[in-house]
Amino acid sequence: MFAIEARDLVKVYSGNVVALNGVDIRVEEGSSHAILGPNGAGKTTFIRIITTQIKPTSGSAKVFGYDVAGHAASVRRLIGYVPQEMSLWTDLTGYENMLIYSKIYGIEPGSRRKVIEELLELMELTDASRRLVKTYSGGMIRRLEIAIALMSRPQLLILDEPTIGLDPRARMMVWEKLLAYKKESNTTIFFATHYMDEADRYADRVTLIDRGKIVAEGSPSELKASIGSDKVIIKVQGNTNEARAYLLDNGYSVETNGNGELIIAAKNPAYVLPRVIEGLYSRGVVVLEARAVEATLDDVFIKLTGRRISENEHGRVREVLSTRRAIRRGS
Amino acid sequence: MRGKLSSASILAMVEMEIRRLMHDPSEIVARAVQPILWIVVFGVVMARRVLLGVEDYRSFIAPGVVFQSATFISLAYGIMMVFERESGILKRLLSTPIPRSSIVIGRALAGSIRASTQYVLVILSAFLVGAHFKTNALLLIGGYLTVIYVCMGFTALSILIASLMKTRERFMGIIGAITMPLFFASNALYPISIMPTAIKIVALVNPLTYAVDMLRGMLLGLQANYMIDLILITAFNILVIALSIKLLDRIIE
Repeated sequence: MFAIEARDLVKVYSGNVVALNGVDIRVEEGSSHAILGPNGAGKTTFIRIITTQIKPTSGSAKVFGYDVAGHAASVRRLIGYVPQEMSLWTDLTGYENMLIYSKIYGIEPGSRRKVIEELLELMELTDASRRLVKTYSGGMIRRLEIAIALMSRPQLLILDEPTIGLDPRARMMVWEKLLAYKKESNTTIFFATHYMDEADRYADRVTLIDRGKIVAEGSPSELKASIGSDKVIIKVQGNTNEARAYLLDNGYSVETNGNGELIIAAKNPAYVLPRVIEGLYSRGVVVLEARAVEATLDDVFIKLTGRRISENEHGRVREVLSTRRAIRRGS
Repeated sequence: MRGKLSSASILAMVEMEIRRLMHDPSEIVARAVQPILWIVVFGVVMARRVLLGVEDYRSFIAPGVVFQSATFISLAYGIMMVFERESGILKRLLSTPIPRSSIVIGRALAGSIRASTQYVLVILSAFLVGAHFKTNALLLIGGYLTVIYVCMGFTALSILIASLMKTRERFMGIIGAITMPLFFASNALYPISIMPTAIKIVALVNPLTYAVDMLRGMLLGLQANYMIDLILITAFNILVIALSIKLLDRIIE
């Protein structure tokens, strides 16, 4: 059985906005699965359907065999969910937020305290638990939200942009905690992200989505291998014509990037790099810099869609950060 | 299990609200200013002029002002839902096993408890400027419970409006448009008998009228149609709570 199985899922919002246009996704039980794509690709819409918040226009989605539209109540008992936006009562303490949710989840009065304290400990929030959430940092807020989502021991944990707006250290800590929990519990993790390195590093399987359609699916290494090549990037002194001619003569495909560097597609860059330098040197071309670069999921995405994943990154992050600041101010 | 889960989650919603209020009780004081002015300024000044066919005006308007200020808080409660919609709280809440009915009933009860503090403050300040109430403890407690019961309906109405309006601006627009007319077109400030027919009709379909009638009966010993009042208030509560449960999902669409 699959943790998530979506077939030909379509969601059209009012005003004929097509958010999902025939999406098929299968998430293996026990895996960590990412859905990666630019903002507006349909990631959040997909998540809102499988968390039973909205109904699909057509097609079907199942969570552990339960249809999200027909058996929403069963689905809700199996999932833990952390939305992209902040989902805590900021004028309560961390402990109180957990206490209210423990009652909502129907955790037995006798074991509430233990469950809450264990999760606070796991997320390293024990010391901060008596403080109002509005005094928390972004990373602490995220960890508390995850702690709450884990309280019901979900079989499937669904995270929408779990580390958006966090600094690298806070991001790493969030993932450290998530993976530690996953290892112990074998919970399936499904997350949406527009950070390609996050999908690359923390997901067993990655689904690439663009404009409401799935463009590729596979393990990160499969996906990167599918575009056939890593890259060698070199910078030469003076005019690049001579170097380009040499490389083309020797059967390499060559492109130029914005910095006047030459990009050579190569299956085995470690092997190609010394040979290219030697060949150029023998032609009297001076190589100033050279490096081998592994393909990224972004390269895969560009190859398939012609666009980058994180084009509007900065505006979006600023917006999220300013929202978090506003929350902390309590305004 | 289902029943247990529902009542536990209703109480969890109420507990959340009370804990919030305890972290920042200054709100209770700030909100008390306006109704107290109604009592000690409007009530006292108007009491000097016998023009309404009411003998003891200070006492007469106290139940009206209780409900005016309490329903105002109830009706504004929906803004909290709009905020929770903008943050991720409602999205998360709606994907937990908690029934929709628990969210609405729990929040309606939470909002009405928030509003009910006005009862104590208004009655106390009216007493201090010379209003006379029945000194029967049971009736005073009954009055308090009446306020909570009535305000549940108005809070549910507010949640319903929040589900339909979705944004702060539109929500505040609607709430602003209904609160004052609700107050003036009721028996809160003057008896229905002196109203022109058109306003009388509005007052008779206004649930606030029956709430005030009931509270006046309890606190002042005036003649009240308890049965009719209770039936109509209950009908109003059931209607708005049911609609609010049915339409709650719209808030996150």
